[in-house]
Amino acid sequence: MTDDVEAKPADSAPRHLAHGDVGIVQPRDYVHDRPFTFKNGQVIPGFTLRYETYGALNETRDNAILICHALSGDHHCAGWHSPEDRKPGWWNNLIGPGKAVDTRQFHVICANVLGGCQGSTGPLSTDPATGRPYGVHFPAVTIRDMVNSQRHLLDHLGVVKLHGVIGGSMGGMIALLFAIEHPEIVGRVLAMATTARESTQAIAFNEVGRQAIMQDTAWNNGDYPRDGGPRVGLAIARMMAHITYLSDASLDRKFGRRVVKPGPGDAPAPAADPQAPGFFGAQFEVESYLRHQGQSFINRFDANSYLYITRALDQFDLAHAYGSVEKAFARVQAESLVVGFTSDWLFPPGQNRAIALALLRAGRRASYAELSTDLGHDSFLLESEELYALVRGFLERDRVAFDFSI
Amino acid sequence: MEKIAVKRSFDMRIIGDWVEPESRVLDLGCGRGDLLDYLVQARAVSAVGVDIDFANVTACVSRGVPAYQGDIAAFMRAFPERHFDRVVCSRTVQELQDPAAVILEALRVGKAVTVGFVNHGFWKNRIAGLLGGRKVRNAVYPTSWYESRPANPVTIADFEDFCREKDIRVARRVHLLGDWKTHCPVLPNLLAGYALYDLTR
Repeated sequence: MTDDVEAKPADSAPRHLAHGDVGIVQPRDYVHDRPFTFKNGQVIPGFTLRYETYGALNETRDNAILICHALSGDHHCAGWHSPEDRKPGWWNNLIGPGKAVDTRQFHVICANVLGGCQGSTGPLSTDPATGRPYGVHFPAVTIRDMVNSQRHLLDHLGVVKLHGVIGGSMGGMIALLFAIEHPEIVGRVLAMATTARESTQAIAFNEVGRQAIMQDTAWNNGDYPRDGGPRVGLAIARMMAHITYLSDASLDRKFGRRVVKPGPGDAPAPAADPQAPGFFGAQFEVESYLRHQGQSFINRFDANSYLYITRALDQFDLAHAYGSVEKAFARVQAESLVVGFTSDWLFPPGQNRAIALALLRAGRRASYAELSTDLGHDSFLLESEELYALVRGFLERDRVAFDFSI
Repeated sequence: MEKIAVKRSFDMRIIGDWVEPESRVLDLGCGRGDLLDYLVQARAVSAVGVDIDFANVTACVSRGVPAYQGDIAAFMRAFPERHFDRVVCSRTVQELQDPAAVILEALRVGKAVTVGFVNHGFWKNRIAGLLGGRKVRNAVYPTSWYESRPANPVTIADFEDFCREKDIRVARRVHLLGDWKTHCPVLPNLLAGYALYDLTR
């Protein structure tokens, strides 16, 4: 997911008090103080999940909606941490009082995934056995481990039933697997811009990102200090991945072939001399944009987490894990909605359609909708009234008895 | 529009009578899900609709009717033989690119296929064409040619020929007069405004 979502200043009120926003929110930590066994059998003595909630849990404890984030996302999906924040949570346009995921009706929960680096336990956390960061001694994380750890959080919060699980991209995988692994508590699952099986192309992109990190000598086999690490490699991984979240059309619209304007006092951009400073500098706006994306990413993300989570994505393959996709979905009790986006070339519409078709073949209640956009994979974060209406309709639909008498 | 809704309710009832309770029903070209919603309520079917339009799929999802946005033929190709108890093609055939292929594919994925269509051989349509010399426009087809989707003006006689040629068994047929309500006793191709067929292999 990109970091592009800039907050629009509200008319006069402070942005965090804007109509429909959840306002100032505070993350909390769930500390699981019992051993946790990963899918591969490795055990850690406990873990922490950082999470946020918005809206109240009802008396019957069944109005919760779990939001699942993507590779580089986190638990902060709506609201603001402080009035000075530059941006709200990453899905602020979708979640809030009166919005498509209405916090007046639903208790919204979002946690940073296990293996992440935004407050949840991951490779950057201290290994109690050594007193140093786990690094590559952290167990291999899978999407299933992310799901099971969040199930513990739900139990801790007293959630009896999830009204819905929602996620895009990797979040869509988590949402689907939640409905497969914990069918008894999931009422609805909404998966967007995702896949039932990480594609060869997606694995290939992940591999380039991992190589960029691991070829950086500062990676040092995953053993690096908290304030160091393979910053160059991680930035390059991010720059490359960022392109896969967008599209030819959206990049062209945003930057075209515009060149970076020299700042005051700078020499004019050299036209054709490779030896002149700047010839291989950021000449085009898209270059300086990607460099900025890379730089801002290294300040908030851990390189080892990036390796672990991309590997978890690669290994996601429902058909392989359950014998067939239909067998996997046969366990689902939830009603499902899958949404694809026409310009998504990372998890293209066909892969989303395949999920809905497999759910239907397995005899489940499933829908598929496809939104025409030119924003690429990140379209699921789009500000779109059509998407809002669909999400709201799916979450809130109430059976109205129509009178068919004549 | 209200008149059409009232007219439609009768053909929905007939389809509802043909549908087994709690069976698996696929509606091709489901629109906003009116028919499937009725079948879910009246016959407790397990329903899914297919429609090409995002707004229609949103409408279906919002009323709890599962719907798939996409191409009808591609959708059916993704299912094994006889996966559905019944495939409904109600007021859709006339707009299909390749009606024969769709109906035959529906007979593959469905144990039975219900087809409902407006009879263009209906005497009023004949007179309108003969005297007016224009594209038929009425309560059912209110639009001019330039604002209409391409449509094949199928008649009951045409459809009967089609079933014979393709060796499709007509298990049941209902022909309704211009009110889409009263059964048509004779000369259906001339006197019936609406036709419903229940097909099997």
